[in-house]
Amino acid sequence: MKIEFTNEWCLQMARLELEAGADIEIGVTPNIAPQPVGALESSTGSLPDANIAFGRFVRLMRRHRRQTLEGLAEVAEIEITELVEIEEDNHHKPEPRTVYQLAKHFEMPMPKMMQLAGLSAPKDASFYEEAIRFAARSETVEELNAIERAALEAFVSVLSEKK
Amino acid sequence: MSVEISSAFLLDVAAGQAVAAELWDAVTEQQLVHWEDEWMPVQREFVERMKAAGVERALLPQSRHWDWRRKAEAFSGSLANPSFCVMCQGMTQGMMIVNTLHKARVASQAGKELIYIEYLENAPWNRRHFASDQPRFAGVGSLLMRAAIEFSREEGFKGRLGLHSLPQSNGWYSNACGMTDLGTDADYQNLHYFEMTPEQADTFIAKGN
Repeated sequence: MKIEFTNEWCLQMARLELEAGADIEIGVTPNIAPQPVGALESSTGSLPDANIAFGRFVRLMRRHRRQTLEGLAEVAEIEITELVEIEEDNHHKPEPRTVYQLAKHFEMPMPKMMQLAGLSAPKDASFYEEAIRFAARSETVEELNAIERAALEAFVSVLSEKK
Repeated sequence: MSVEISSAFLLDVAAGQAVAAELWDAVTEQQLVHWEDEWMPVQREFVERMKAAGVERALLPQSRHWDWRRKAEAFSGSLANPSFCVMCQGMTQGMMIVNTLHKARVASQAGKELIYIEYLENAPWNRRHFASDQPRFAGVGSLLMRAAIEFSREEGFKGRLGLHSLPQSNGWYSNACGMTDLGTDADYQNLHYFEMTPEQADTFIAKGN
């Protein structure tokens, strides 16, 4: 079967693919038990509210460092489109590599960041409560004020605890 | 085995320029050797890195379990299961196996024949979340989708397609490809099932024009 592809068509579609930043894989995997509906789409062991906390945390850490979205994406070597989704879409499930890169950039413990992002189950119920409390306390889009700064610093301490 | 080759282009992401590519209407031994010798080591390294970072198993790429050699052998010689691949710079960049024996479920096309995409995979260095820096080439998915649409038309199915997407690909098929999401399918590991109508196929192709 022969297809006529034009240079323009191929490049336009390639650019759209790049902007979408999504994977394209299709297919069932043999010998893997069916996943409960929603299990692969929602956080394992976490609830949607914790995703709010992750997005809020990333945004506040970025603003605390006076970084633009582009600036953070560049230095952390992550896609800006995903960074925007992390900060603005409470239902967005971040990619493991993105969380890995953000943890490295923010110098935060990897396991805690993975839990906060909903990519691994919290080992401690109080961690989830702290995440929700942080999300509730930090709701604003203005420049970090003293209260936000205090909330962020307190939560950073929680994440940094060696448990 | 005779292979028909169509000239195409991919985007070299780092250079920001078009590079010559090819769409083959077959997956041959050459592609399987590339998968074994080049794709697998990159994939393995990524998975180990994610496991070390504590990522839950359910969130690791599901395609890490795929055995393209077994798939190719299983479908070899079956007229109902043609395959396609994308080549660039002498390396396999993507592979696809389709099935001609499925019927549409979406209301407007119910019962009509479609091309069902059994498997489709991009080379790991082209996948944003595998690549350590940025994807090497972009456009593999579009070339393979176009191939599936054109094959569907050639078979008289007017561009109708069906597929079960891996979770990390749902956004691509829903948003970028404009397919209809028919929800999770309990018979297919609760993966989302998508269909493309003839009109949606026209719209997809028009995006590049």
